[in-house]
Amino acid sequence: MNLRDNLPLREKLAAEYVLGTLKGGARRRFEGWMHNDAALRRTTSEWQQRLAPLAEFSAAQKPRAQVWRGIERRLNLTPPARFWQFWRNESLLFWRALGLASTAIAALLIVVLAGRTLEAPTINYVATLTDEKSQGAMLLTADSAHHELDARLLAGVAVADDKTLQLWAVPAKGAPRSLGIVADNHSAKLTLPAYAIGGDVALIAVTLEPKGGSRDPNGAPSGPIVYKGNWVKLM
Amino acid sequence: MLSDVNPLDPQQLRLWLQGAARRDALAFRLLYDATSSKLFGFALRILHKRELAEEVLQESFVAVWNNAGSYQSHLASPMTWMTTIVRNKAFDLLRRSNEATEIDGEQFDSEVLDALHDPQATPIEALEMSADAKALAWCMSTLEGAHRQAVGLAFFHDLSHSEVAQQLAIPIGTVKSWIRRSLERLKTCLAKRERA
Repeated sequence: MNLRDNLPLREKLAAEYVLGTLKGGARRRFEGWMHNDAALRRTTSEWQQRLAPLAEFSAAQKPRAQVWRGIERRLNLTPPARFWQFWRNESLLFWRALGLASTAIAALLIVVLAGRTLEAPTINYVATLTDEKSQGAMLLTADSAHHELDARLLAGVAVADDKTLQLWAVPAKGAPRSLGIVADNHSAKLTLPAYAIGGDVALIAVTLEPKGGSRDPNGAPSGPIVYKGNWVKLM
Repeated sequence: MLSDVNPLDPQQLRLWLQGAARRDALAFRLLYDATSSKLFGFALRILHKRELAEEVLQESFVAVWNNAGSYQSHLASPMTWMTTIVRNKAFDLLRRSNEATEIDGEQFDSEVLDALHDPQATPIEALEMSADAKALAWCMSTLEGAHRQAVGLAFFHDLSHSEVAQQLAIPIGTVKSWIRRSLERLKTCLAKRERA
């Protein structure tokens, strides 16, 4: 049988191969033909693309948490080291874990601050943002009564001249909201909007953006997160 | 708004799948979060037993991680690729275990069809389907009920022509021609919707 020139037969067999009704010897023969026939492989994947969405007709059902734990165990997955470009996820597990780590560091810094630079008692929020190695990189102090936000890089942190650091409040749901840029890559005095310290803020993040800040048309971050942390409210 | 993005948005899934190929465990986790419920629903549909469906889901995601590098985005959308893995794993398990499953000869996917016929009652959006699945659902709804059922029996239960014939108590020749015609009509219908 000359399959190569029989277009309707090629279509029929590919469709039934994908549907599953092509069985036994016929199925194995078809697989043999596919092996040597790129066009037939393409026809078959087109049918896969047409029929596979049938799988989505079933209502979604949540598997138990142990399924993921089993996957993690079997694949020996280590905690993720990369975390940028995941603005769109609603899963805050990861962000929250980060928040905890930096809270501890921030608490330490408050003591230092209180002894040295805390001139006005109006500063009521502090955050220490850390890099991917959990090293402190930027200190934020905020005065919610006067809507002031002060950001400064810690000693030893360098930023390339053609880049700009941009601050974001990342809410539990929805897109990050910009808090402004650190124009001189050293320190910045910014206005503190209410959304920066709102109850739904899951994380404060700093991204590395092109000079002048993100040019994303939707006002979203375009670069990787380099520092992140959480507010600690002072008494 | 970013938060309104369909969780099964192929672009997003593709990014996570590419992340998984680079051994990015977080991307893989996000892929799991976005797709596991849908894929589990599918596995349950085939296997009917939660423990079996969970075993298949776990094996499937292990395979997704191990084979993410060979995923070819020009050949299949991420959901197509992953549902194919789940389907193969589910049928493998059935063959291995000699487990007898229930075969639902019920009206094929009444929920989806209801949503198509009366979007007021059940918005099709509520079923969380990708755009591909919505298009296919629409085209399936144009088939005759019994033909649709024959296609569904073959797809979800790995039945041969003669087994479908047995289930529906009709001659095998009829099943063959129903399925052949249904597949042709689906192809034409989907192509039309793509051009539209």
